[in-house]
Amino acid sequence: MDHWEPRIMAFLCAWCSYAAADLAGINRIQYPPNIRPIRVPCSARVSPKFILSAFMHGSDGVWVSG
Amino acid sequence: MNRYVDEIRVIARKILEEKAVDLIIGFKEGSIPMMTEPVLIRDAAETDQLYWDSFCFMNLATYLPKREGKIGIIAKGCDSRNIAVHIVENQVKREQLYIIGVPCEGMVDRRRLCSLVGDKEVREIAESDGGITVRGEGFGHTLKKADYLQDNCIRCMHRNPVLYDAMAGDLVEERKDPDPYDDVREIEAMEWDERWEFSSTLIKDCTRCYACRNACPLCYCPTCFVDESGPQWVGKSIDPTDTMIFHILRAYHCAGRCTDCGACEQACPVGIKVRFFTRRLNRDVFDLYACEAGLSIEERPPLDTYRPDDYDEFIR
Amino acid sequence: MKGDEGDFEVTLVQSPRYVDLARCIACGLCAEKCPRKVDDEYNERLDKRKAIYVKYPQAVPLKYAIDAQNCIYFQKGRCKACEKFCPSGAINFQEKEKELSLHVGSIILAPGYETFDPAIHDTYGYRGSPNIVTSLEFERILAASGPSRGKLMRPSDGREPEKIAWIQCVGSRDVHAGASPFCSAVCCTHAIKEAMVAKDHIEGPLDTAIFYIDVRTAGKDFERYYNRAKDKEGVRFIKSKIANIVERNGPGDLLIRYTDEGGKWAEEPFDMVVLYVGFSVPHELGDLARTTSVDLDPYNFPETRSFSPVQTSRRGILIAGCFHSPKDIPSSVTDASAAAAKAGALLSGTRFSLSKKKELPPEIPDTAIKGERPRSGIFVCQCGINIAGVVDVPAVAGSARSLPFVEYVDENLFSCSQDTQETITKAIKEHKLNRVVVASCSPQTHEALFQETVRNSGINKYLFEMANIRNQCSWVHADNPEAATDKAKDLVRMTTEKVALLEPLPENELEITQAALVIGGGIAEMAAAQNLSEQGYRTYLIEKSDRLGGNALNLYQTWKGEDIQKHLKALMADIKSDENIEPYLSVEIKAVEGFVGNFTTTISCDGEERKLQHGVTIIATGAQELKVDDYLYGQDWRVLSALELDRLFMEKDRRLGDVGTCVFIQCVGSRIPERPYCSRVCCTHSVVSALLLKEINPAMNVFILYRDMRTYGLRENLYREAGEKGAVFIQYDHERGVKVERVNEGLRMSFTDYALKREIQIEPDLLVLASAIVPTDGASLPRLFKVPLNEDGFFVEAHVKLRPVDFATDGVFFCGLAHSPKSIDESITQAQAAASRAVTLLAQKVIHTSGTVAMVNQLYCSSCGVCVAICPYGAPAINDETGKAEINPVLCKGCGLCVASCRSGAIHLNGFDEGQVMAMIGSI
Repeated sequence: MDHWEPRIMAFLCAWCSYAAADLAGINRIQYPPNIRPIRVPCSARVSPKFILSAFMHGSDGVWVSG
Repeated sequence: MNRYVDEIRVIARKILEEKAVDLIIGFKEGSIPMMTEPVLIRDAAETDQLYWDSFCFMNLATYLPKREGKIGIIAKGCDSRNIAVHIVENQVKREQLYIIGVPCEGMVDRRRLCSLVGDKEVREIAESDGGITVRGEGFGHTLKKADYLQDNCIRCMHRNPVLYDAMAGDLVEERKDPDPYDDVREIEAMEWDERWEFSSTLIKDCTRCYACRNACPLCYCPTCFVDESGPQWVGKSIDPTDTMIFHILRAYHCAGRCTDCGACEQACPVGIKVRFFTRRLNRDVFDLYACEAGLSIEERPPLDTYRPDDYDEFIR
Repeated sequence: MKGDEGDFEVTLVQSPRYVDLARCIACGLCAEKCPRKVDDEYNERLDKRKAIYVKYPQAVPLKYAIDAQNCIYFQKGRCKACEKFCPSGAINFQEKEKELSLHVGSIILAPGYETFDPAIHDTYGYRGSPNIVTSLEFERILAASGPSRGKLMRPSDGREPEKIAWIQCVGSRDVHAGASPFCSAVCCTHAIKEAMVAKDHIEGPLDTAIFYIDVRTAGKDFERYYNRAKDKEGVRFIKSKIANIVERNGPGDLLIRYTDEGGKWAEEPFDMVVLYVGFSVPHELGDLARTTSVDLDPYNFPETRSFSPVQTSRRGILIAGCFHSPKDIPSSVTDASAAAAKAGALLSGTRFSLSKKKELPPEIPDTAIKGERPRSGIFVCQCGINIAGVVDVPAVAGSARSLPFVEYVDENLFSCSQDTQETITKAIKEHKLNRVVVASCSPQTHEALFQETVRNSGINKYLFEMANIRNQCSWVHADNPEAATDKAKDLVRMTTEKVALLEPLPENELEITQAALVIGGGIAEMAAAQNLSEQGYRTYLIEKSDRLGGNALNLYQTWKGEDIQKHLKALMADIKSDENIEPYLSVEIKAVEGFVGNFTTTISCDGEERKLQHGVTIIATGAQELKVDDYLYGQDWRVLSALELDRLFMEKDRRLGDVGTCVFIQCVGSRIPERPYCSRVCCTHSVVSALLLKEINPAMNVFILYRDMRTYGLRENLYREAGEKGAVFIQYDHERGVKVERVNEGLRMSFTDYALKREIQIEPDLLVLASAIVPTDGASLPRLFKVPLNEDGFFVEAHVKLRPVDFATDGVFFCGLAHSPKSIDESITQAQAAASRAVTLLAQKVIHTSGTVAMVNQLYCSSCGVCVAICPYGAPAINDETGKAEINPVLCKGCGLCVASCRSGAIHLNGFDEGQVMAMIGSI
């Protein structure tokens, strides 16, 4: 498990977190590549079903940000 | 408990005769002891079928959604709260209902009685004030009813109906149990993996029969998420992941609406304590929003509404 | 600048930026290669930038510029590294200064403010220690885009601080040379915010102390925030103007010396000290004022009047923001809308005279696309080397070829360039593509561009998706090309899976009724109606009572000394003679139907029912003065409310001349547990009244019993003046309260002095209660319009800072006291702002609904009503006939809250539907 990296599914609100992730890019802030962002119109869009479904499809962590 | 039967029949007969209602939703005696059945009665002459004992654990509010006409319904504390939830959620109108309230001192857990008698066939149950006698071939026990209540009834804080048009008896005293969620905290105190182990073990026997869902008054959607196929949210197998998702999502759908009536748990053919999932969320709703389901026909459940001062500490 | 109101000729000089805006793709390569490091002004010089730079990461447009003062080429004649490395040829060293000439009808001045330089007073030791920073420097230290990337550490040694002090009023409320005598209005709340945020940014415990003179959290909900800081978060508040700050016990460790509340000498060590530097008008703005011939006050703020708060002395020239007076974001944004409203009034005759209409090719009918097999085209962008330098673009394109429904894959050097748009259009037509994915930068900046390209190719613009393989991939995983390539492949796969499931979506048009309804007949409502009329819109003004004027009828003078009754009469006369305004008095609202653009409000007036059709609504139901039942109020004529004293002033009551001692009690019914808000206007009002009394009888003893004197902004000058004229300000212990009794026909009051901790008795001839402002209990009105109230009963805005006069429900706006306690000038600004926001809708004439809205599948709907209850915009409703939910696409914002909340899965969100998001989740 030494090199184990969790696979993270991120639901990012288009208005804030997704824009912030873009900004992190503009600032070239480096972070680990094990995150797969999905842009949602609002964190309110994230149904519990999405979260469970992400886990079901093998994500180790789910991040809802908004 | 049986002392309420006469009163229920009198009220039911009267409202049917007066045509105040088109039908009555109540209980009748089951074909075997401890299996009191729901019944719909439309004719005043049939009201003698109505029955009440300590095994009326089904929640009659389950039979209300989308029902037309004037309805008489027998309701103990939790049933009446689910009726209130139905009214708030547009499933039935208050004007449609004539609620015959029954004060409740708790339902008896038939599984515990059965195991007490070594799962031998119970032929007869007799109730007296506070006591219950179980008889079968070669055995007979008289027990204190209070010692054999369903788990949800032990923790119940609303034994009297919160909403009624007539009462089939005097109100009983509510308990002021200071800690209705000790069991939830016990589980929360576990380590993560211990908790995972606990909940996985809990549902390992689940056959996905959906009896818990069907017994639940809250589950009235035209199509349940478990039956949806496009997209398919949850696999239909008894794969542990699918089963866990089913139970978690079902609990989420009940969050802030569940009255902890226990119908789901009683309906489970393999005896899974499914209330584990709903109670955790009930506790959160109670702690975070100071709210218990079904106490008002004016207010929406807390998770249906937004107030600027809502709890938001989970946002980091 | 030449000309007059309605006809200005303005000449502007535009400095060259040496970067072609059309070509710059903001990849940042130029800045990476630029050898010249310069102090970064945006980060308060705590960090470095390059000579070619963007001012701050959120700049719009996001394009680079060369700072010629620091550029090696401009200073020494060689370098041009940026030009060499720019992948899109955007650098142009030949660019020259440009002169622009504009013909405009109105000018809005909003040049902002500058902060006090604490180095000029050695009290603060600012230059002496790097651990003493200004409030703005601290703001940058906390910011994720700041010098330490949001990690809070001491500048001297990078250690996490354990104790931080905030010093208020540095260069504000200070009559010394270089400082400002007025209050900067925002710093108290700002300091509280910084203290709370600082606690969040630190792993361990952080001790925070705010040294203040008065805590002036007078804005909406600020008092609640102050209480939270004090009672829940443990922020300490120390009432003291400090003596000095020195280094002690080694470098960087600071010691604050001060006198405490009881007047005792005290000192306390801190790791960092934040100085709350005051606001002032930048000196160079003197030139601007001269050019525009605007009259300035002694502090260089333009002269304005309470009844035309954003209008300068010169007609046609308006102001907004901190150039008006020190203020916070909501007030500045409100000012800006108000200035736009006044400018709109001047320009209403020429509206649309410069607008152009866009022509589009016909769209392929939906039916054709819906019936077709998806044919997706994937365009992977190299973005010069921005993507291709890290991500293996051919590999990403290669993996895209094997994805379902992909018909065509291409790689572009710059997907956003003009020629690539043509390439994409050609590919769409040639390969009969009906779904398009561009894998490049962010949809936030480029979705609209590509949607236009797709639309220009004849396809519905909603059949397009972007995969963000630059901002969220190549740029942030530069050191791990392999993983970045894997991620890019995943992102393209997720997007391609989704795009196949997209459907063409319609955007409908809906006409807006060209009329406004203003509810309430107070001064704010009249100001709003007046501006709507000036901007050319028919306005219905309805009032519950039988006369216009509201609370203003009972007020004597504004804080600037203007006669309120005189202005009120003039305003009422204007309203009555205005042909665009239809006022109705003694009105009851019976019903409200419809939504933005098409409201029908049924009113009953004079026993008659009337239906008003309007496109927008402004609600201003006002507030009242609290009537208390203690302090002998209502039992003794000598105990008055603030408004009753105003009445005596108005009537020039002779009894005022006989008053020997007058006492004001502040915060009567405000800032208490059952009403935990500040009523904002009372401190200034009492000070104004004290000055008026001193004018009537300079020998009169005037006492003001206060908790914090909240004469914010320029009102501070009145407070100082009252003190100079002999008014006595005593901080009383509000928890012990004030007892008023009648003794031998006289009044006697007793209370505890907060500082002295001793009981004091005064026998006043007049006792004035500065009572709370309480919102009108108009419970049905908010429900009729589906707008929310906060815990205190005031309106809740759509966004506190950015949409301060809008409700979340479209087409409904508010102004005045119903939103929060405020003064007349602030109410009028807000009213004009509300009118401005209303006109932004009315002027569109039609509303375009978005395609990405929610829809209900009636067969699945269980009628439970969650969607109706949970939607902040009032879009869903239960249809009375079917009993099922329906969603009004005009009101729907496409947030998906109802979709996620719908247990039955009956609601679908176009463009972000369950199946589409699930396809993304499932493709990983």
